[in-house]
Amino acid sequence: MVVPIRLKVNGKEYDLKIEARATLLEVLREQVKIKSVHQGCQEGECGVCTVLLNGEPVYSCLTLAVQADGTEVTTVEGLMKDGELHPLMESFVENYAFQCGYCTPGFVMKAYYLLNKSDDLTEEAIRRGLVGNLCRCTGYVNIVKAIKAAAEKKRSGNWW
Amino acid sequence: MMKDRDTRLVSGKGQFVEDMELNDMAHLAFVGSSHAHAKIVHIDAAKALAMSGVITVITGKEILEHTNPLPIQADLKIPGGIWRLAKVYAMATDRARWFGEPVAAVIAEDERTAIKAADLVEVEYEVLPYVLDVKEAMKPDAPLLYEEWGDNKQVHLKFDFGDVNAAFKEADQTIKLIYSEGRASAFPLEGRAFLAQWEKNTEFLTVWGTFQTPFMARHNIAETLGLPEVKVKTIAADIGGAFGNKIHTYKENVVALASMLTGRPVKYIESQREWFVTGPHQRDVSWEGEIAFKKDGQVLGLKATVTHDLGVESTNKGIAATSIFPACCAVANAYHWKGMHIEGYGIVTNKSFYCAYRGYGKDKGIKFIESALDQVAKKLNMKPEEIRFKNFIQPDEFPYKQINNYTYDSGDYPAVLTKAVKMADLNGWREKQKELLVQGRHIGIGMAFTVEPAGVAIPNCQMGGITQARVKMLYDGTFEVYSDRTEIGQGSEKSHAIIVSDIIGCNIADIYVAPVTSDWIGQGPLSSRGAVYCASAVAKAAKILKEKLLRYASIYFEEAPEDIDTGDGKIFLRNDPEKSFTFKEMAHKVHVFPGPRGMGEEILKAHDHLPDVTTSWYSNITAETGSTYTTFCASADIEVVEVDLDTGITKILEHTHVHDAGKVISKQIVDGQIHGGIVQGIGEALTEELVYDENGILLNCSHADYLMPTALDAPDIKIGHLETPSPFTETGSKGMGEAPIIGGKAVVLSAIEDALSPFNVRVNESPVTREKLRNWILEAQKGIGGNAV
Repeated sequence: MVVPIRLKVNGKEYDLKIEARATLLEVLREQVKIKSVHQGCQEGECGVCTVLLNGEPVYSCLTLAVQADGTEVTTVEGLMKDGELHPLMESFVENYAFQCGYCTPGFVMKAYYLLNKSDDLTEEAIRRGLVGNLCRCTGYVNIVKAIKAAAEKKRSGNWW
Repeated sequence: MMKDRDTRLVSGKGQFVEDMELNDMAHLAFVGSSHAHAKIVHIDAAKALAMSGVITVITGKEILEHTNPLPIQADLKIPGGIWRLAKVYAMATDRARWFGEPVAAVIAEDERTAIKAADLVEVEYEVLPYVLDVKEAMKPDAPLLYEEWGDNKQVHLKFDFGDVNAAFKEADQTIKLIYSEGRASAFPLEGRAFLAQWEKNTEFLTVWGTFQTPFMARHNIAETLGLPEVKVKTIAADIGGAFGNKIHTYKENVVALASMLTGRPVKYIESQREWFVTGPHQRDVSWEGEIAFKKDGQVLGLKATVTHDLGVESTNKGIAATSIFPACCAVANAYHWKGMHIEGYGIVTNKSFYCAYRGYGKDKGIKFIESALDQVAKKLNMKPEEIRFKNFIQPDEFPYKQINNYTYDSGDYPAVLTKAVKMADLNGWREKQKELLVQGRHIGIGMAFTVEPAGVAIPNCQMGGITQARVKMLYDGTFEVYSDRTEIGQGSEKSHAIIVSDIIGCNIADIYVAPVTSDWIGQGPLSSRGAVYCASAVAKAAKILKEKLLRYASIYFEEAPEDIDTGDGKIFLRNDPEKSFTFKEMAHKVHVFPGPRGMGEEILKAHDHLPDVTTSWYSNITAETGSTYTTFCASADIEVVEVDLDTGITKILEHTHVHDAGKVISKQIVDGQIHGGIVQGIGEALTEELVYDENGILLNCSHADYLMPTALDAPDIKIGHLETPSPFTETGSKGMGEAPIIGGKAVVLSAIEDALSPFNVRVNESPVTREKLRNWILEAQKGIGGNAV
């Protein structure tokens, strides 16, 4: 069954006709051509497909696209401004917070959500916040470091 | 770097295979065996083929018709031992030997249709007896996986190093040891993925994929499909982690065949579930041994046997079995020995196949011996650091010919451990440990020392020590760098750019490190050889290119080459740095005006006019001594844990890692390797284990039940560096990608054992799950007295 939905993705409106059973992940990758949202496990375990739905993080693999009808979706592409990396993304690069880079866009979105809630997070709170996202390369050390550095940027007004 | 990989990946511009699309692309999905061991009686694909969008189905029949068995990659027959290789194909033909083994492949217009149709393929099986345990598999009446062998032993190696009898004779005491590790693997978040395109007109096959080793993969694909190797090109896409898991080649052959049969590009993305089920798997070893030592703590000798559960014959024929060599040899680790007798068995069972995972056997020997040293220390009432200091190879002994025939390049082991003891505040923690025990809190302090053999070169094996690099300057003064060292997240692009920039003096922003394809000969990144072989070849090429550039410059400056230098993107006169060319200006002169004919007769007659160098590198020490490895980095791990007796939960309070990997090219990259390796080691130590049920079905094939550490399970890590350059590499660097996972795992077990010392519990099997730990504690509390041997 094909159903129409309206999505706002990274500030741009899309009127889409989708399979009713399609996940948000599938629609983002195949129809909106947002490739930063990686496929991963597609069972809601690894977190590489994390996007923000009206500012809240979701696994796009476990979210039906019809559930996202009328919402605003944000991915790392949406954090870029005039081709510049978001200060949070810069922190990930500066702190070598990724190696293979496959899980990275998911971590950036989760971190963006955490920092938007509070820019004064303890290490424990950061780690707890990241539990739904797996990384096999970094041991999380530099991801935590990058998020702390980004919090500092946010506190000093270097943020959008 | 010109192409900033980091910026690209963080902003979602990665080009992983899943992101690639070709016109008219079809998709493939595999059908996996539902049994651990079964004859394939009949495959009925009618229902699948009837489904709209299904193009074709490949079964064993097509595999037999169009492909050869997978080629042998290592053939290490040794006299007096057992070394067997079975004939296996890229997919099951008449018999499935493990749960999940691909038995058919469906090709369809889109991925979802292919997956759905795969469920409609009806396979009639005749279930065969199976064996899931090495002890059972070694019994005379065990079901056989490969009848032609007569039993299930794939490998039996025996090593005699030094004089083991003399060592045991001289000893005051011995301790018997048993030790085992559960089945585990890396399973990076991206599984295998391939996109194959057969060009009918040119009869040329291109495969983009998660190729950790594109050159070896090309050989495998060409051989399997019966194509001339020159008609196959493999290209490494962006790879979502590898850790050894993406070295082997088998499913890609079926994807390539599908493209040849359908005439369309075919893509295959492996699901995480298939990734777990269809391997590669690793570890799953058990040790039995005896260590001999003097009462002053000097260790003398070791007798040990390590038995590997290899699962089925590996798709990487011979390479997986080869890991038994380092497992046996690496026990020597950082210490002096008089004699050893080590035996290694590789037993086949009806489980998914074995291949590489960070450590590749060396890890097994080191973890075993570190645990053994803790036992000796305990027996003699010594501290763990005392027993290690007592037995260390000393800094003035390098290059050191170890008892196992490895030649250790350089190091200062006492300095590494001393620094770790200090950084970890070992003595302070021991005091705290006593105080907290009074309050009923069980703190444990673990220690592990690792000497990691890196940069493998094995004769009679594709991993013979081959590597190739090319560095060239283009018309616009930028530099292009090629090698066989695939970027798998380990930072090869960045470190090659740093090496070239440091040597040539050009700006790092003007360097492009090209993605790796099968055009470049080499084993790729494995055995931590990137910093040994590949980086050496790149450094050597850069050094030769720099000499050339200085010769060219001497013509334009009309000064001797030795009076010219480079730096900051310029070539300048030493005595008059104002007189300079940028590399762009230089490139213009070299290539265009005045161009080659302005270079002078000698350069032209030597055909030396192109600023382009292709070269190779081979380890001198391997050539001279036969040492299988070239560099030996050293690391010390000290970890503090707290064990909750009621829940069995082990919490890591602190982790200190001191590392000496020779000259550090990028501290950030080295630290990243350390962090990631240690946390993988923690996962293996505490939670990660692949469990097969009594029917041979893999029970945990997702992240929900194969538990990798999350951010909350992982500790912050204190790192200390020492730099004892390797005399054997071009840069002075040593391979170091595996030491952290080795020490990272061993130290957890050591710490838990220390925490449980009031109960006399011996922590000699992993993972130390909460259940296991609770059982040990309960038994101890019942007064059984622990499980200590």
